[in-house]
Amino acid sequence: MWFIYKLTLRQLSGRWRLLITLLLTALPVVMGVIRSLVEDGPPDAEFQTGVVGMLVGVIMPLVVLAIASAAFTNEIEDRTLANLTLTPIPRWKIIVPKLLGAISVAAPMIATSALIAGYFIYEGDVKAILSTTVGAVVGVVLYSTVFTWAGIMTTRAIGFGLLYVFLWEVMLSGIVPGVRFLSLNHYSVSVMRAIDERRFTGEDMLSSGVAVGASFGVLVIFLLLSIRRLRRMDVP
Amino acid sequence: MTPRSSAHASVGSSEAVIRVENVSRWFGNVVSVSDVSFEIKPGITGLLGPNGAGKTTLLRMITGLAAVSDGRVTVFGETVRNNSSLYSRIGVMSEHETVYQFMKGRDFVKMMGQLRGVKDIDNAVDKAINLVDLSDAAYRPMGTYSRGMRQRMRLAATLVHEPDILLLDEPLNGADPRQREHFKNLLLSYAASGKTVVLSSHILEEVEQLADTVLLIVNGKLAASGDFHAIRAALNDRPYHVRVISDSPRDLASALVKLKSVDAVNVDPDGAIVVQSRNVRDLQIELPRLAKALAVRVRRVEPLDDSLESVFGYLVDR
Repeated sequence: MWFIYKLTLRQLSGRWRLLITLLLTALPVVMGVIRSLVEDGPPDAEFQTGVVGMLVGVIMPLVVLAIASAAFTNEIEDRTLANLTLTPIPRWKIIVPKLLGAISVAAPMIATSALIAGYFIYEGDVKAILSTTVGAVVGVVLYSTVFTWAGIMTTRAIGFGLLYVFLWEVMLSGIVPGVRFLSLNHYSVSVMRAIDERRFTGEDMLSSGVAVGASFGVLVIFLLLSIRRLRRMDVP
Repeated sequence: MTPRSSAHASVGSSEAVIRVENVSRWFGNVVSVSDVSFEIKPGITGLLGPNGAGKTTLLRMITGLAAVSDGRVTVFGETVRNNSSLYSRIGVMSEHETVYQFMKGRDFVKMMGQLRGVKDIDNAVDKAINLVDLSDAAYRPMGTYSRGMRQRMRLAATLVHEPDILLLDEPLNGADPRQREHFKNLLLSYAASGKTVVLSSHILEEVEQLADTVLLIVNGKLAASGDFHAIRAALNDRPYHVRVISDSPRDLASALVKLKSVDAVNVDPDGAIVVQSRNVRDLQIELPRLAKALAVRVRRVEPLDDSLESVFGYLVDR
């Protein structure tokens, strides 16, 4: 598995992909820095929720989409996936290192963004910074699992991911109350709330137990779906 | 369409390592491979057919990369699809350049060996790279290689675990004449050690120089199989069609039909003569002489059916 993990890290570390994702993850930090430079006093809750909401609701899914979907689509498009499937290793030993590779590339960027942005918007409040960072990393893991599966299902994973993020996570989960039970964004924010109960007080959150259980369910289900897909697909 | 040769002379014994039984594959309404059955035993077997005949689809089903729509493929008696343990005994080289451009040649071969659980990996890698004569370029990224070099390094990666079965799809594409010779010798010596080599090609001569046994695939069906020389003899026996354009077609046609090397002559409405001959070599000598004797000016002579497709078509229709 180590060879496939190393290979995936190298494949996902393309200059342009990293540059664009780094620029995206820098946005919350820039907002936090500008706020601290131009205004005196602690940021209000609306600003804090807005920045964190942007990080976990939009930036994180887009960054993970750009990285995780490429874990398989690139190999399918350049036909190198057969190099891995024509070896005597079980399919899960291909899927797991690919997923870990995607998480390893995306998580440090998102975690760093959450840490630094959290430092500015929460004025050094360790518990708040920690909750933001842990919640964001949980989100990276969940979105990576889903978008890695999307990458092996279709070569149009980016299009699928964009529709999913903007229609389901951004629009519908904000309008239809029941959608939050099936929203990765809500799982992520609920984990933040579970660590720091002062955050997102005005929102209808899932309980920490439900959020953790649902997150685990998403992880297992989409891992199994990816393994099943790799077993059944015609490898180009 | 019926297979011309029913003799599966060198395949079809109890020693068969690959069995393809009534295999079909369709994509929507398009049938790519239709009810194909054959067996392959150690030695070199050529999968011959024109482009688009279904060779690659067939090979992909044998390797397990593609599912069969109907029928069964077994390797060493086991179903190959979703049976990853079999890949420690199989080496596959597809026709596409499936390399990682950023990776050094040696690292690629080493990774492929490690993924297949090769013990004493460094020695195995050195041996495989030496076999393809690429030691000098082993530490260069494969993105800097020529196409022929990439093919050879891919072959090294395919050979690194010394598989019992080697499946190669158009392996000589992109190789220069020296590399082709090296490649051929390598495959011949590999097969001589008791291994099974299956190579697909649309080039008759390529298969002729390597394969003892040929499976001729046309339009997704097995058109002929068996000893290469029997099939080659049948190919040589076919009539050729030659189009001759002259300034006096009727006079020339009347004279041509009397030649022993000519089977039939037709004059097209546009004035071109179509000569049917089983002895093109003699025709090449006699035609200019005849034209000179008749004082007829020949403007153009062209073969009408020199393509491999027409050769296959002849075999299939006969």
